[in-house]
Amino acid sequence: MAGRVFRVGVMFSTTGSYSVVARSMLNGALLAFREIIDAGGAVAPEPVVVNPSGELARYRALSLELLASGVHHVVGCYTSSSRKEVIPCFEKFDGLLWYPSHYEGFESSDNVIYTGAAPNQHVLPLVEYLTAHVGSRAFCIGSNYIWAWENNRIFREALMARGGTVLAERYLPLGDNDFDRVIAAILEQRPDFVFNNLIGTSAYAFFRAFRAACRARGIDQAAAIPIASCTLSEPELAEIGEDAVDGHLSCSVYFSSLSSPTNEAFIRAYAQAFPEGPVSSADAEASYIAVKLLAAALQQAGTDDAQAVRTAVANQRLIAPQGEVRIDPQTYHAWLTPRIGRSTASGQFEVLLEARDPVAPDPYLIQTSPRFATAMRSPLLKVVRS
Amino acid sequence: MTFRPVQNFKGSRALVVIDRSGRESALASTLAKLGIACEYPEVACGRAQIDPKSLQPERDILIVDGDLGDVLAIDVNPASRLPPVPVIGLVGVEAPSRLKALVNLGATAFLRKPVHGGSVYSSLFMGVNQFLLRSDTHERLQDLEMRRRGRRAVLRAVVQLMRETGLNDDSAYSQLRRESMRARQNLELYCEEFLSRRARPPDASVRASGPAREGHNKRAI
Repeated sequence: MAGRVFRVGVMFSTTGSYSVVARSMLNGALLAFREIIDAGGAVAPEPVVVNPSGELARYRALSLELLASGVHHVVGCYTSSSRKEVIPCFEKFDGLLWYPSHYEGFESSDNVIYTGAAPNQHVLPLVEYLTAHVGSRAFCIGSNYIWAWENNRIFREALMARGGTVLAERYLPLGDNDFDRVIAAILEQRPDFVFNNLIGTSAYAFFRAFRAACRARGIDQAAAIPIASCTLSEPELAEIGEDAVDGHLSCSVYFSSLSSPTNEAFIRAYAQAFPEGPVSSADAEASYIAVKLLAAALQQAGTDDAQAVRTAVANQRLIAPQGEVRIDPQTYHAWLTPRIGRSTASGQFEVLLEARDPVAPDPYLIQTSPRFATAMRSPLLKVVRS
Repeated sequence: MTFRPVQNFKGSRALVVIDRSGRESALASTLAKLGIACEYPEVACGRAQIDPKSLQPERDILIVDGDLGDVLAIDVNPASRLPPVPVIGLVGVEAPSRLKALVNLGATAFLRKPVHGGSVYSSLFMGVNQFLLRSDTHERLQDLEMRRRGRRAVLRAVVQLMRETGLNDDSAYSQLRRESMRARQNLELYCEEFLSRRARPPDASVRASGPAREGHNKRAI
């Protein structure tokens, strides 16, 4: 007997400046749909795929269209600005957005299930690793929107609490590729590392340009001024290109190089289903997890009513490619396993460190951040050139 | 001094004065996510049963429903117009009289009813930090007011020192300032003590001070 059909929206910008990651997210979600149908359970979620093309207004319009058509659940969004754009739509229609990407936290909408990493699962472990193994002087760079502003703020506070220094913060428009001035500033400041919050094509161009600029000056970039990110994933390594692909640090809850039977099966199935790529990524795995959890909750609830599914998803557990994942019933964020990886010339990540067990989500950093914000003040002395 | 806003409210206690209709769940669940314990004081005879002495500004936040009228009996400092702990007003009926009542209670932020989970952190952030900023501003004003009153002693001390040493006014002022810094006192307080050290017994002052000097002193004041 065929399972009960529930239409589920799938909304990723498979064209536009961050389309590479978004396409891997779509693949991850579609793989999960396929596996659920093939398993022949009591529910048969049916994907309704839409593409906002990276335009904020399209996210809102498409969300409204899906929700008005009777869809109650949408797996989608990559950027925080797109998520914030559509949340009011989900609240208005009482739908659920299944958001499958790492993000900067300080949000916990009743109409969102967060399957990507919260800041205590990506940026804080990265700060810990960098200060212990790399250095304490950072140069921060990012795309000019909420993700980079807030992630840099969390990073700065955590770094300063460990006695580190942020030498500078620079923001560039989304999709901008003109890095000459910022690279000159980095080379002049000579930080211990660059903390990168650029996304999409800007990030790939920066990795290439910075490697080239260092090479031209005889600097071994990966060793002398490594770039650390919370976003960098395998499909993006392919976009950076073989000339600048190795030696970059990334904190993520999933790398496709993880050796476990579940991950190996996931990678095999993914490669078989999507031979054209892009290859799997942490966000693809989070999308895969989101669809799997949604199906389990639909089955338990017996309906696609948002509140019933929300209740059903609390405390759901899943053996995912990254290991055990479960949903925290208070915040509706996921327990995930943070890891630090370093990119290799073959376009993969070698895992340098990993948490022993899944870490509880702390979206508002109430367990880890100080009561008072770090005071920002101008330096008392400035270098004056003659 | 740079102000450091409170950004993590873990360990705080919210005293929520509200008509419990079951619609307050969004507020309670969001407060719990932020690490804030939530208590609902009983309302008896139109008054919330809160012991003002038990309130601690570092821990407590009062969230009061403006639609309940004069439900909160707390003392607002007449000078600073600040309540003993941060107050956030829940706004249902958006009428000037209700809003004014909340402002008079010292509310430093509003939260619209029905409460939307996404607004709670912003409201807490604004309410608590505005309370701290206003408390800080009030303390500074008090300090400035005290120093303004103390300027009389500074003028008298400058004149006294000029008389005693023959210094001009700039040099006398500089000397007093130097000595106050050495004594780690503000100038006004130092000058008050400087004058009191030189104060003479009433009977001696009549004999020692000639009418001309007395008059000069009065003019200087």
